[in-house]
Order: sequence, then C-alpha cells, then structure tokens
Amino acid sequence: MSTGEENSGWNLTESDPGVFTELLRSLGVPMIFDDLYSLDPSTLAAHEPLHALIFLFKWTSDSPDPTSGGSYDSDFPGFFAHQVVNNACATLAVLNALGNIPSLKSGQPLAELFNFTQGMDPQTRGLVVTSADWLRECHNSLTPPSAISLDGLGLPKSSEDAYHFIVYLPFMGSVYELDGLKASPIRHGAYEENSEGWAGKAREVIESRIATYPPGSLEFSLLALHDDPLPTLQEQLSVAQTAGDQSLLAELMQNISDENSKRERWAFENALRRHNHMGLMHALLKLLAKTDNLDAAKEGAKTKMTERREKAKARGEAMDED
Amino acid sequence: MEYIDTQRYILAFKAGRALRRDGTNLVEPKPEKGAIILYDGEDDLLHLVWKDRTTGSVGEDLIMFEGDASFTQIPNAPGGRTFVLKFQSSDQRHFFWMQDASSERDTDFVRNLNGLLQDPDFSLTWNTETPPAASTSGPSRPVQQATSEQVETLRRLLSSYRAGSAAPATAPPEYSLTDILTPANINPLFTSHPELVPTLFPHLPSDLPNPPNEETVTQIIASPQFRSAVSNLDQALRTGLLGGFVRSLGLPEEAGASVEAFLKAIQDQAASEDSMQTD
Repeated sequence: MSTGEENSGWNLTESDPGVFTELLRSLGVPMIFDDLYSLDPSTLAAHEPLHALIFLFKWTSDSPDPTSGGSYDSDFPGFFAHQVVNNACATLAVLNALGNIPSLKSGQPLAELFNFTQGMDPQTRGLVVTSADWLRECHNSLTPPSAISLDGLGLPKSSEDAYHFIVYLPFMGSVYELDGLKASPIRHGAYEENSEGWAGKAREVIESRIATYPPGSLEFSLLALHDDPLPTLQEQLSVAQTAGDQSLLAELMQNISDENSKRERWAFENALRRHNHMGLMHALLKLLAKTDNLDAAKEGAKTKMTERREKAKARGEAMDED
Repeated sequence: MEYIDTQRYILAFKAGRALRRDGTNLVEPKPEKGAIILYDGEDDLLHLVWKDRTTGSVGEDLIMFEGDASFTQIPNAPGGRTFVLKFQSSDQRHFFWMQDASSERDTDFVRNLNGLLQDPDFSLTWNTETPPAASTSGPSRPVQQATSEQVETLRRLLSSYRAGSAAPATAPPEYSLTDILTPANINPLFTSHPELVPTLFPHLPSDLPNPPNEETVTQIIASPQFRSAVSNLDQALRTGLLGGFVRSLGLPEEAGASVEAFLKAIQDQAASEDSMQTD
C-alpha cells in the first residue's frame, strides 16, 4: 500500500456493510448497505427500492482487469468523480452512487458538495472530493485511531491490497457502471421496466463480468444500497396491529428484530473499530501478571511459534516474518 | 603475561578469535575457547584483552583510547556472530566470534562493549533477565538502569543500524503477543477471578450499544479489531523504538525496547501495584 503522503491522510477502511452504513449515517443519508449473497431475483427484490449495487473485489493474478463490455459515455451528465487517492476508494464509490440518486435526502455538507461540483470534469471532482476535510474526517472516523503511530517505524507494509469498487446504478433508463479508475462511466444499455427493473440488467452485467476472471482468482462481494427498511417496517407493524393480522404481525416483528440485531452488531463492531485498545491490552497483560499466568502464557507462545515454524518448514514455505 | 585482577574487569564475555589467512581476505575462526575482557589497567588505561579460557594465556592485549575503537558485526558472516574490532586511529582489524551458548545476549554484550569503548563511564544495561556474573567488577560499577540518554543513544543506534544494513537487524521473533493475549489464556481468568472483570470496563469503548458484561469482554478479545491491535503492538515493540510511548503507560523507557522488556516491565508494574494495595 502507498505511503502516508500519497494517501493524503485518508485511512484504509474495511469493506464491510456496517462501515459503509455508518458512513451514510454521518452523511445524513437515511439509507443502508447490505451484503448480497446472491444476485437472484428474490434476493434483489428483498432490497427494493434498490438504488445502487457496489461490486467490490480484489483479483490476485498479475494480468490486468478484463474489460467489462458496454461503451464509454464521456457525456454522462450525472455525478462521476475519479479516484485520485487510493485509500479514499470506498468513500468515492459511495459518492458516485449517492450523487446520481434523484431527490437524495442528505445532510447539508454533502448537498453542498454535490452542488459545488456540478458541471466539473471527473478529475476535478475527484480532487474536490478528496480535499474535503469534513469528508475525510467522516471516512477516517471508521478506522482505528493510531494508538501507536506506525508511520516512520520502518515496518514493512502488508502485502494486502485495497479492494477495488465499482458502482452499478440506473440512470435515465440505462444501467451504468461507474469506476473511479476509468476515464468515464460505462453505459451497459437500457433495461426493461418490468418487475425486476434495472436490477435484472445489472445482474447480467455483473455475472458476465465475474465469468471473465479465471476461476479462483477473484475475491469479491456485493453491497446493495437501499432505503433504510426500519421506518417502513414500523409503519407496517402499526397497520398490522390495528388490523389484527396476527401472521403478518409475527412476520413483521421477526423482520424488525432481525434488522435491529444486525444494527446492534454493526454498532458493536464500529465501536471496536474506533476504539484505542491500548488501555485494554495493558490491563489484560497486568491481569495475567497479577494472577501469575504471564510466564506460562509466554512459554506457551514460544511453543506455538516454534510449532508454526516447523509446520511452515514442512510445507516448504518461508514464514512471513512481518 | 600480565596477571589481570578480576576486580578490574569491567566487561567480559566468551568469544573466540578469527584470524586472517595470509595473503587473502579470508578470516577463519579459530576453535580455541576464549573471552574478550575489558578492564581498568594498572596504568590507568582501558585494556581490551583476548584470553584463552583453556590455557589462561592472553592472546591480545590492546589499549583502548576513548572513542577510537568499535566492535561491529560482519553482516555476511553465516550465523551472524562474527565481529570485527576496528580503529579510527589505525588500520588494525581484530576478528572475533561470539561463543556464549545462546546468541540471546550477544546484543547486550556488543552494546555494552561499544558503549564502554566510546565512554569508559558508560553504565551497563541488560535487556535479558539475568546479567552474566562477569559483568560486575565490584561495588564501584554496579549494574544500573539505563538513563533516558542512553536509551536515546540506543534508539539512534538501532534505527541507524536498520537503515544501513542489508541484513535484518533482528532475529525472527521467539514469540508474539498475539499468542499471549488470546481468549484461551484470558477467559479462564474470568472464571477464576470474576471480581477482576469489572476492572476492565473502563478500558472498553464508551459507545457500545449495550452496557458491558463478562461476555462483552470475551467477545471483544476474540474480535478482529482487538486482534489487529495486539498484532500492531507486537510489531511496534519489535522495532525497539517505543521508549517514549511506554512512559504514557507508567512504564520505564526501557520497556519500549522489545516485547520481552515490555512484559518484564508490566510484571514489575503489576507486582508493585499489588504490594501498594496490601500496605
């Protein structure tokens, strides 16, 4: 991964729907992201109205990303920004999605940003986006605070690369692909106004993209951007209560409960992401010492390290010594 | 050969000699068991001597002027335990190889030797648990804790060494904090000492969705976020450059020199906290 200077103060974020949804919350957008485990019609229908799909992937071969079909549309009149800072790729993809949603509800800063960048070329937009301090702070608030600054200690950077993000969304009757690393958006053609809507066309495009990668070379996930279902579910719950519809009531209560558990899990994970764990690590080590368990833990750790090395040697691999 | 009063020893460690084969650049280690001894001569000069431990005879007797000599590792020598004593004032080169059974104390010996060669009043420091017996030479030179100046020197030496050398500065780690702060090690403590669990609550995130309990702590310790923090701390400690940082934890600067030093300091801190409570 690039050095601090090249990343202009943007931290690398995790690609997790909880993280992305928290970003939406900090932008004042009443939508959520969910993991999609399949692209079949029923799964997609469960997230109606679907505003955008984000395809995130890292591919592990050295060959360049295969072309995805469709045609470049350099006259695209919507919002499209280039990725000018590597680590900002997640926020940039989210903005490329949000910027093309009609009548988007959002906080003031985001609305002003979209207003301000109207009519700009993608490169300039990308620069404006990554220069927005408030946006960078929202983005960075989802990463661990540096308990210890690891910059300047000469630690080798891990070899894990960032995910790459591609946004698929409907715009003026066609499915578009927005990739911040490409010159312009790619138009994949019109979609039919049937029950599936644009999502059906998007599915075809994404599936054919996935098929172009050699098997096993692609690690990816899909995120669906859609309205927050909770307010609607609550309304439906009230109606069902009034109507005395027991089975509907039970189903709605289950859905609401599932949704709330998910939010609680996200809130827990995000709290851990933002937290400086130094105090806890120190307290736990002292605990081990006070209960006379630290020496044994150390000896056990030495044994584990030796076993690991031996196993790695047996497999003929060099140990990753950081 | 001059009799060396062990009372005058300042530093000693096991080392063999390696001699240059005539007409070549090859340096061959000699098998004789020996020792490098730094001592205060009766002439008030600092002597570095190589002594054969089997016969007792002194093979080299060199006078060390302050700041003149340095004892440096030869980077390409296999095993990493070959050193050269070289001088600014002359082209003399004397080669040695470390003979202590374990290489763990090599860095301590080398650091202390170089420290003394620069400044005879250098205070010895030991990062390993028990200083070897020959390191003290009577009440006039007790083993002391490093001052912050010395730690700063050490830090500079370590970072310049790492920046310059092609070979890795540290041997592969013996163990990692990630294998110490594990659920397997910690969860049983909560069962045996349940009263300790609430003492951890102040260290948890303040914005958890629900008030914490024992299960919360267990979940956090098993979480990828916590494990990542432990791994970062382990890596950072291995650089040896956390002297300034560890003071914010109430630990002495030496605790930032290595994972081992860190754990030792925490052990001490835990013991002193306990004794404070029982007073």
